[in-house]
Amino acid sequence: MNAQAPIRPEAPAPVGLLAELTHRCPLRCPYCSNPLELDRRSGELDTATWQRVLREAAGLGVLHVHLSGGEPTARNDIVEITKTCADLGLYSNLITSGVGGALDKLQALYDVGLDHVQLSVQGVDAANAEKIGGLKNAQPQKMTFAAKVVELGLPLTLNSVIHRGNIHEVAGFIDLAVKMGAKRLEVAHTQYYGWAYVNRAALMPNKAQVDESIRIVEAARERLKGQLVIDLVVPDYYAKYPKACAGGWGRKLMNVTPQGKVLPCHAAETIPGLEFWHVTDHSLGEIWRDSPAFTAYRGTDWMQEPCRSCDRREKDWGGCRCQALALAGDAAATDPACSLSPLHAKVRALAVEEAAETPPDYVYRTIGSNIRSPLKEGASS
Amino acid sequence: MNAIFPTPDATESERLLTGDEMEAALRDIGARRYHNLHPFHRLLHDGKLSKDQVRAWALNRYYYQAMIPVKDSAVLARMHDAELRRIWRQRIVDHDGDAPGDGGIERWLKLAEGVGFQRDYVLSTNGILSATKFAVEAYVHFVSERSLLEAIASSLTEMFSPTIISERVAGMLKNYDFITKETLAYFDKRLTQAPRDADFALDYVKKHATTPELQRQAMAALTFKCNVLWVQLDALYFAYVAPGMIPPDAWQPGVGLVAGADAPKPEAGPRRTVPGDTPRLPRGVRLRDDETRGKTVLLAPERTFDLDDNAVAVLKLVDGSRTVSQIADELGTIYAADPRAIEADICVMLDGLAEKRVLER
Repeated sequence: MNAQAPIRPEAPAPVGLLAELTHRCPLRCPYCSNPLELDRRSGELDTATWQRVLREAAGLGVLHVHLSGGEPTARNDIVEITKTCADLGLYSNLITSGVGGALDKLQALYDVGLDHVQLSVQGVDAANAEKIGGLKNAQPQKMTFAAKVVELGLPLTLNSVIHRGNIHEVAGFIDLAVKMGAKRLEVAHTQYYGWAYVNRAALMPNKAQVDESIRIVEAARERLKGQLVIDLVVPDYYAKYPKACAGGWGRKLMNVTPQGKVLPCHAAETIPGLEFWHVTDHSLGEIWRDSPAFTAYRGTDWMQEPCRSCDRREKDWGGCRCQALALAGDAAATDPACSLSPLHAKVRALAVEEAAETPPDYVYRTIGSNIRSPLKEGASS
Repeated sequence: MNAIFPTPDATESERLLTGDEMEAALRDIGARRYHNLHPFHRLLHDGKLSKDQVRAWALNRYYYQAMIPVKDSAVLARMHDAELRRIWRQRIVDHDGDAPGDGGIERWLKLAEGVGFQRDYVLSTNGILSATKFAVEAYVHFVSERSLLEAIASSLTEMFSPTIISERVAGMLKNYDFITKETLAYFDKRLTQAPRDADFALDYVKKHATTPELQRQAMAALTFKCNVLWVQLDALYFAYVAPGMIPPDAWQPGVGLVAGADAPKPEAGPRRTVPGDTPRLPRGVRLRDDETRGKTVLLAPERTFDLDDNAVAVLKLVDGSRTVSQIADELGTIYAADPRAIEADICVMLDGLAEKRVLER
């Protein structure tokens, strides 16, 4: 062992790769997890580079690849990329809106060995869903797409991102999932990063609504045992402990952007001063192990109190760094979603306050928008 | 009623305690006398009580719940300060609610109904142990007759209740299949209400117990209240656990229940796997050797199952053509074990996977 080398926590083998193949998307959801500055088509990685990234990922121990975006089927080579996953034994998960070209490519994706489809649904009522997604006539396309997925015998998960504009539809989402023959349903309360942070006041539900949604899900889980698996993600701001963001920084997951930047989580770019490496400059293994962005918050050495001495430090790994930055002004602080954070009460009060006001209009996601990131403002304070 | 507070050292007991010392002394009373230490509660939380014993607890405790607003109204009536009354009246609102169907008493009724009682039977208070009634009524009399300081100090058992509540909820959910989270909704609210109430009462007591004598009175009041709670459990234990002497007129198992309260719950969820089934892994679920971590895993939508060796051995034979019996036979030969015993284990394992929708039969 080299005594000169700084002691760094060892990097466990990654299990998942989120491949953001493109930021292009026909939908304009106001809670999109993509960054505010979206990558343009001209800068996207080519097919061969993605295939190399997937090979390197498989070599590192990655098991699941989430083919995502934007809308991943907007890429002409989505079938080729999926086939590469199958050839490498990687489990391929298509995270799609089901609109645009998705339906046309589905049979070919099935044929090359796609493993699973996760379809987003913005609402149950078509008008509401299309208002949220910002695209007319999206709902019938999604229904047709879902029917085809089930008909082919592919496992289908519906993903519903929950906020005050559709929280009254939670029971409806459950019925819809059953009706469509989905095996899984994700009832995921909005996580307030990226576009969702900009739109937080328009999206934040109140505590009573959140509690009711949890009650509905718990009752349905019991009723539909063996028929539908329901995953519930509760909103951070009302939680007691934060989530282990991405299973802990640099522990399980990595995220490759359309242009090939590798991030520990999809919002990591909001943290100023982090240096991200690029798949065209380094191998994925080097990036995972050594890139400054991944080593910055891996393990527990970077932690401050109350995380540092907390029994839960290796359970939730201090929560989300991006949220710590946005809400506490310090990416190394305890995630204020944690009840042990000195800022927790303030954050909760903020949620209560915003949920009580009349919601402002959505700021829809668009490529080339001038929306300034409120996250970056928070950072300088 | 005249509980004697232990005074180990006469001179010490004449000294005025600081605020912190006073708080510590009060907490010490709870640490030694609060009813979470009672054997009946240990049985309750550890899942050692029968369904009827849990019912006896829920029924008798209703009487206490129902009298709490009566007690708090008596306290309220003695307060000459509007500011104080505004704070204290919140307790009555918490218990009675602002409208029918709301409040702590209602949630306790839900709990009693949840364990099988008819609502009207509970409301009638027939069947409540006399000892329960005596204890609860002694509490109401105490707050009416003693000083306001003692009345407020007697409420301080709330300082200790969050611990018992979390223990209770976790223990009961884990140990009794007839208890659901909805049934225990009462305690969700109390987790936040009790500390708020206790904080206020504790401040009040620390501020107003200004002489050693007043401090002793406050401590004696809290001791008295601990005893009010404790003797209720003594009575329950005596009547329904050991020696099991149910007094005349008190609730007898089977009385006041809704029809079918003791019928076995219909089997929820998917049907059980049987030896004749032909299991298979559907599309999107597959076994994979994970060379990096040196194990075999089951890959499924958005998750990875870590498998033990037995599960791997079974799943390698799950191919959509072998039946469970055939799989058991093959494994019985390989491991020189009784195939019928293996078969039962396989069924349980496959049930677990079917419930998660990663296996079909």
